[in-house]
Amino acid sequence: MTNQSPVTHADAGRSWQDRLEPYLAIIGPMAMIAMILIVMAILEPTRYFRASNFNIIFLEAALYMPMAMAMTFVITQRGIDLSVGSVAALTGIIMAFAMKQYGFAPWFAVGLAITTGALFGLINGLVITRFKVPDLIGTLAMDLVYRGFALVLAKGLVLARFPDLITDIGRGRIPGFIPIPVLIGLTTFVVGAFLLRKSWFGRYSIAIGSNPEAAEMTGISVNRYKIYAYVLMGAMAGLAGLMLTGKLNAIQATSAPYFNLHVIAAVVVGGTSLFGGRAYMLGSLAGVLLLSMMINALVTLRIEFFWQSVASGVVIILSVAFYTWLQKKDRDGSKGLLASLRTPENNKIYKLAGALVSALLVFVVLGFLFAADTTGSG
Amino acid sequence: MSEPQPVVSMRRIGKKFGGVTALHDVDLDASAGQVLAIVGDNGAGKSTLIKILTGVYQPTSGSIHLDGKPLEMNSHSDAKALGIDAVYQTLALADDLDPAANMFLGSELTRSFMGIPYLDNKTMRLEAVRVLDERLGVKLRSMDVATESLSGGQRQAVAIARAVYQPDLRVLVMDEPTAALGPQETARTLKLIKVLRDEGLTILLISHSLDDVFEVSDQIQIMRRGRRAGLVKTEDSSPKEVLGMIVGAAEDAA
Repeated sequence: MTNQSPVTHADAGRSWQDRLEPYLAIIGPMAMIAMILIVMAILEPTRYFRASNFNIIFLEAALYMPMAMAMTFVITQRGIDLSVGSVAALTGIIMAFAMKQYGFAPWFAVGLAITTGALFGLINGLVITRFKVPDLIGTLAMDLVYRGFALVLAKGLVLARFPDLITDIGRGRIPGFIPIPVLIGLTTFVVGAFLLRKSWFGRYSIAIGSNPEAAEMTGISVNRYKIYAYVLMGAMAGLAGLMLTGKLNAIQATSAPYFNLHVIAAVVVGGTSLFGGRAYMLGSLAGVLLLSMMINALVTLRIEFFWQSVASGVVIILSVAFYTWLQKKDRDGSKGLLASLRTPENNKIYKLAGALVSALLVFVVLGFLFAADTTGSG
Repeated sequence: MSEPQPVVSMRRIGKKFGGVTALHDVDLDASAGQVLAIVGDNGAGKSTLIKILTGVYQPTSGSIHLDGKPLEMNSHSDAKALGIDAVYQTLALADDLDPAANMFLGSELTRSFMGIPYLDNKTMRLEAVRVLDERLGVKLRSMDVATESLSGGQRQAVAIARAVYQPDLRVLVMDEPTAALGPQETARTLKLIKVLRDEGLTILLISHSLDDVFEVSDQIQIMRRGRRAGLVKTEDSSPKEVLGMIVGAAEDAA
């Protein structure tokens, strides 16, 4: 009996972590959501905690839900798609032209938007798997291509005023129920969760991200499943373009500038690992909500719009660093924060940083000392 | 003692990679319910020979027979379909998936609802527990954890379970199964090999550890510089003799 107790003890300690593990993805964003709620409860309770404001938050979040769902698969496969914003803008514009210039019926235009997006996703997937262009570079380059086509097509035009179907998809509401875009967004997540758990696509996405060589050896067609992920991503970006067009009742070539960063941030905050293999569908949903609440909080606090890009970037860095820290197995071995900062290796970095800061100071001081009169040139 | 009819026989196998000849006219015979160990120095041609048997490489010359019938394999999947599979040293596991998902990776069990097939995780889990327990005598503490968190031996068992689940498996190649394991796990893996041998599988064991080889094998094929340097019955031989053949001592003395 006595010699069994250490085993059970270790077992209990381990199962405590095991039990926590599935919820980690939720605990992270939930803690941050709670933080935002607390901060807003102190700073701006009356304007933040209003039903109409939460409606705005959910409408905003709904726009990103389909893309976050698809991006979860892409990132799980160790991929990344930096072209979703441009795909959304371009599909929105193509759809708008189809209706405005060629008289497409709204339903056909909707189908057109989603399939066009899927086609762009297919192109991304082929660029990555056939031309062997790394995901990051391939989709970044295709982002330029799609944005370029959007500008070529729309020039500086703002296409506005669309049929009811489009605006309903973007901002409509089922009477006495939730807004239609929120329903669409949640539906994509339900489908996504099913795909992740119950389909070959989900299973193989995890396998590919976890160990691509092993996936290949067990006979999985790695490239085909990568293409599937990008096609899904493209289709969902097309859907987002459609929803954006409906939400604003307008679309232009420069729409959706921060989609990429925002969607990736939501997925990463939700605990899906950028290093592949770990997918948390519910975490991505929580991540989308968190980001929308954060941006809404910034707006409510009357902080300039451009800060949201800064905030999204900081959230990505913090959450990746946090999850990496969580994954680190031997935290007990390190001797506290201060000791780990004072390694010889770090001292060299401090010297470099010190040199850069002093150089910067020299230029700033010299710049001010020899400053010319600016009134004339302005 | 009369030799049983070999399940697999490779005859005069040659393999060239560009100008480099990896194998010269190598023969190999393996019988059912027997463990054939293949030993040799690095670069002796063990892996190349095994990769030809498992369909990963195609031989430049020579022929392979399974049950006396000539084989034509163009890929590893062809070999699998014929009942020849391998457990690699790297195990080919997706560490983030649970053991059952790993065991069925690439050949998932499904159900369908209104004609739409989906993965049957429950049955896969039950089957994984059954195969691990009944055929390999391994019980995992939890089937819900990532395969990553299992011990080396347990991971090995999952990889072996994946291979032996195929009902028509005839030949199992094990590439350095004990290389990354501690003494206890090694003993357990060797026991697994014996269990599979007693079930009538033909097992090819590649190993650098002569201790392991002498514990489980029935015959030892020694490879040296792309040729078969010798074939001995384990019971009639000794590690010293085999080691001599690996390094070519006998050849040099002659």
